Amino acid sequence: MSVWKAALLVAEKDLRIEMRTREITTTTALFAVLVVVLASLSFYLDRGTARQLAPGVLWISVAFAGVLAMGRSWSREREHDAMRGLLSSPIPRAGIYHGKLISTLLFLSVVEILLVPLIGVLFHLDLFDVLGRVVLILFLGTLGFCAAGTLFAVMTVRTAARDLAISVALFPLVAPALLAGVVAMRELLDGATFESSLGWIRILLAFDILFLIGGTLLFEPLTSD
Amino acid sequence: MALDFESVEAVKLVKLFGATRALGGVSLRFEAGQITVIEGHNGSGKSTLVSILGQLAQPTRGEVIYGKLHRRRHAAALRARMGILAHAPMLYPDLTARENLLFYARLFDLPNRTSVVDAQCERFQIGRFADRPVRTYSRGQLQRVALARALMHEPRLLLLDEPSTGLDVLGVERLEKAILEERDRGVIGVLVTHDSDFADRVADRRVRLERGRVIENEDSSPPVGPYATPASPTP
Repeated sequence: MSVWKAALLVAEKDLRIEMRTREITTTTALFAVLVVVLASLSFYLDRGTARQLAPGVLWISVAFAGVLAMGRSWSREREHDAMRGLLSSPIPRAGIYHGKLISTLLFLSVVEILLVPLIGVLFHLDLFDVLGRVVLILFLGTLGFCAAGTLFAVMTVRTAARDLAISVALFPLVAPALLAGVVAMRELLDGATFESSLGWIRILLAFDILFLIGGTLLFEPLTSD
Repeated sequence: MALDFESVEAVKLVKLFGATRALGGVSLRFEAGQITVIEGHNGSGKSTLVSILGQLAQPTRGEVIYGKLHRRRHAAALRARMGILAHAPMLYPDLTARENLLFYARLFDLPNRTSVVDAQCERFQIGRFADRPVRTYSRGQLQRVALARALMHEPRLLLLDEPSTGLDVLGVERLEKAILEERDRGVIGVLVTHDSDFADRVADRRVRLERGRVIENEDSSPPVGPYATPASPTP
């Protein structure tokens, strides 16, 4: 079976469970919305400062929601030792990595679909004209965050202090993607052209490729004792 | 055609976890049509051995050879011929039994998946609760679904790691019946258990490990079924 087919199988299984429980999307969306609302109430002064603040608020809520989503998604693999069942099947093990990555990316995308218009309203930003570029930056940043996070999360499957480990060790690892995402979006809201944002977009792209390749190659050795 | 093998040979397996030696040079051969019970105290290396045979762990040194097939070169194809049953059922609690079994049937790329799942539901009498989420099952019901999961692809190598833990008498009897049926089909069975009565009933051969080494290797009967060695003609 190909890695791609195996990834779709694993992702489809995660989506089926999520459609039934709605646990990950509900908890992460509520948490992310709360962060955005509280940040807008606390920090909003005027439209000028809002353009500076909004990208940071967006990425902070996405990052925290992402940690929550990944923690819960992998805890489903720990329950009843389901991960051992996946590992004992004949699918390529990189398919498990890509499947978990796809499902986490989809869960976070649902949260982001809620967050972007909410930030537009609460921070009085006109995002309509730059929506395409906002989506591109958000997608590339989230992909990198999920690629690194999924690789790291699997290492914590057998760690007792797994939530602490994800939070403490993941953020330094994904810092380049988060920083590039925040700065690219801030410049975009300040009126930068697409060409001037290209540098940050290239950094995001390089980060994504690095961790996608790393995840594909490292997942198998990381899941064998 | 799917790869197949009629023996599994562990050759001088050593497994180290940091400074701790879980296996210290274990060499064993397992044959088709034979259930080998691995016994020993906690920490003697039983589960580590099963994990290495099932490709869930890598040996620090040594090798496992499946028939004539090498573990590294044929990893995925060999996993397609293995079934693993442990105390934990390896199922997703929010899916139903039928959904779990269909998911595994797809992972193992089985043809006629729906009919395979239906046949397993009938074999292990799962049908009555097959469309309820696994989270609502009793221990016995969980084990029945786990048995169906482990056996639905007719594995050649069946690895059983403490499968009877927490089961009532009926559950153990059902497990015993399934193991013996699989043995007659020609499975290479490796069973780790602390339940000596259960081991007495299913074992064709008993191996005892202590501190990662084989200290007893007692063959009580030859392989059965189509894999039995033909008896020598009586003069």
